[in-house]
Amino acid sequence: MKWHIVLGTLALVLTMAVLAFLALNEPARMDTFIQGYEARRIEQGASLFQSNCSSCHGVQGKGIEGVAPALNAADLFNGQRLERVGWTGTLEDYLEGVIAAGRPVPSAGTTYPQRMPTWGQEFGGPLRPDQIDALVAFIMNWEERALAEAEAPPLEAPSAEMVGTDITIALPEGDPERGKALSEGALGCSGCHVLATVGPPWSASGDLPSLEERAAQRIAAQDYSGEAADAQQYLIESILKPDAYVVAGYPPGVMPKTYGERMTAQDLADVLAYMLSFR
Amino acid sequence: MSIFRVHIPFLDEVKAHGVRKALLLKADDVVTRITAGLSIADVRAVLRDDPPGRPNPRLKPHSEGFWLHMRPTYYHNLVDGLYPTFRLGWLSTYFFAVEIITGIILMVYYTPSPLVAYENMLNILSNVPFGRLMRDIHRLGAELMVIAVALHMLRTFITGSYKKPRQFTWATGVILLGVTLFLSFSGYLLPWDQLSLWAVTIGASMIEAAPPEVVGKTLSLMVLGGPQIGANGLLRFYLLHVVALPFVGLIAFGVHYYKVIHHGHSLPPEAEEIGVDSATRVPMNQRSYFMPKILTRELFYVSVFTLLLVVVAAYFFHAPLEPHADPQVTPLHTTAPWYFLWLQGMLKLGDKVIWGVIVPTIMGGLLLLLPYLEVGPSRRYAHRRVGLTIAALSVVALAVLSFMGTPWYGVTVTPEVEAVAVILPQTHPGPLRTSPWEEIEYGSFEASAWASAPTPALRELLRTFDHELDRMRAAGQREVEGFMIVEDWQPGLKKITMRVVWVDGETGEPGEFSQVAYFHRDSNYAQGE
Repeated sequence: MKWHIVLGTLALVLTMAVLAFLALNEPARMDTFIQGYEARRIEQGASLFQSNCSSCHGVQGKGIEGVAPALNAADLFNGQRLERVGWTGTLEDYLEGVIAAGRPVPSAGTTYPQRMPTWGQEFGGPLRPDQIDALVAFIMNWEERALAEAEAPPLEAPSAEMVGTDITIALPEGDPERGKALSEGALGCSGCHVLATVGPPWSASGDLPSLEERAAQRIAAQDYSGEAADAQQYLIESILKPDAYVVAGYPPGVMPKTYGERMTAQDLADVLAYMLSFR
Repeated sequence: MSIFRVHIPFLDEVKAHGVRKALLLKADDVVTRITAGLSIADVRAVLRDDPPGRPNPRLKPHSEGFWLHMRPTYYHNLVDGLYPTFRLGWLSTYFFAVEIITGIILMVYYTPSPLVAYENMLNILSNVPFGRLMRDIHRLGAELMVIAVALHMLRTFITGSYKKPRQFTWATGVILLGVTLFLSFSGYLLPWDQLSLWAVTIGASMIEAAPPEVVGKTLSLMVLGGPQIGANGLLRFYLLHVVALPFVGLIAFGVHYYKVIHHGHSLPPEAEEIGVDSATRVPMNQRSYFMPKILTRELFYVSVFTLLLVVVAAYFFHAPLEPHADPQVTPLHTTAPWYFLWLQGMLKLGDKVIWGVIVPTIMGGLLLLLPYLEVGPSRRYAHRRVGLTIAALSVVALAVLSFMGTPWYGVTVTPEVEAVAVILPQTHPGPLRTSPWEEIEYGSFEASAWASAPTPALRELLRTFDHELDRMRAAGQREVEGFMIVEDWQPGLKKITMRVVWVDGETGEPGEFSQVAYFHRDSNYAQGE
């Protein structure tokens, strides 16, 4: 019985010692948790952005001309845009408010034909407050790169000649990696052709064969109205002169007709190489 | 002027004995009052295990005090050892006390509303000193309490201790088992994460299946407070968890323990003559007195178990917290808590009404009525072969049913989804998110070429992925290949696409499945939650 008392007392002292040790580490543990949680919020925001925002604001938030403004842009983070719209609060609050309540009227100086819809549940949208917080955290995470890109000199001066609308052009060797960067960045192809099926998907799936096969099928089709002589020309034509032939089931006029003025022959070759790299 | 005279008796004592002696007397008096009869010297003698004086002052706290009024002054030597009780009833009570204490602390930081409940959890974990420890102990204690209560009941059955005259004690014990299970289950919903929402949704759908339809619908409405689980349901589960069930539990516990003491702890079956209950007639020479023996031992247990709980909860066990509850997103595998897996297993056997409602009700009823069904007078093991065999078979059946309740049995998820879910599970971090962030290098990797991946973490992940895809290959799919594509998405953020492509073995159709996850440098999934 005495050893009960001795061991019991010992256990009590040990418990106190463990608790004291935990108490010493508790502030650090709580900080680690907060840091981890903030990071997970960004992850959650990235996935929400992809499913809800990227079709208008671009996969990498660079915006899509005529649809929605860029979020991964220096002017959002350096205060210029807030000044333009007359917002005096913090950027986080601005983002949160715009996402939750949407944009019933266009902001000063913008002419986007579509309105930003409401996303917050409190305004009839689909997202919970914590999901909106996650989106804000994800968008804020662009700050560092958006500001750095604005300061860096433009990587490639537009010295090369634009490709125009000649679909029989001879192309240099394409680099799929660079084509991917272009599709997801400046040209924004991925938003409709990879991440969504607004336009014909680049990847093969189900009863949809690969792009190469599809192109060959298209030019052989009865109602084909373009000028392409082979599969590669068909793909080039689809990019440079999208309305030459619109596949049944897709509405005409959605694909921008300006790519000929925005791409060099190298760009076109790279994007093609990337397109054909899909299985 | 006698109206202003104040009489302080202590001053008389000081006059009579001096300050020192008077203070000692006063202290002795206070201790005697608190212990309801033991002076300082008596307490010291208890702790030193000195023989008691005559008349035995150690009996007084039992007859005069509240706290010990229900505890016996002595136990039979034969029930004092580890066998036959294994201290399981005591242990259940201990865990109940731990749950009440940690539960009250957690209640301080919790609001039962879907708008803030999950945020409250994050606050408890990130902003409340010892908040995580309290939550972990509360969860751990709950699981251990379920185990202790279940084993306690099993032990009572095996030693035949529920037989006449203790049938009613057994019945109150069955109520306590139910209270324990539902306390644990109702606590499940409170964090308002995916785990809780879907576990409770499964449970609630069983309530709804109760026949006839009008009863099931009404019961489900009463519990959930609406057609689906929402703000009202959360509030109701909270009130069940913190008020109704503890209240029922405390009352049932009071009755249960009163009956245990009233009939005496039943002796080991072999120590009694058949049909004779001699627990309350304890010969003088076979008595273990509560003070000092039982008391010091219980204090010893309290400190040792508390130490164990604190250490395990601090370093080895962390209560899971899944993503925020989302009725739109059904996790791949929703399972009931482990102590209800047998029920989930039965649901896979067939009709929801029969297996989910009627059979469990019959089982509960049989359990409650068991002492009135197994009425043979003998408690000896050798005379209860049928009963003990049935008990053993029941335990095996529960284990098998519990296995059947897990996702490994009879769940039809396509193998490509399953393979990706092994790497990127929806309900816990999984191997990818717990890998070192730096080792998940940018690039596109093929699962079958795992050996040539640049880092150990990637090799391990791809090897696991490829191993999972073998099941598709074994099932006759052709050209099965898994890809893992890692992209730089934002500062500190990687986008990871897990992709499976194959050609259907029968139709020759190509198939594709992919899932995207994002992985941040600081997300630190390895820390526990």
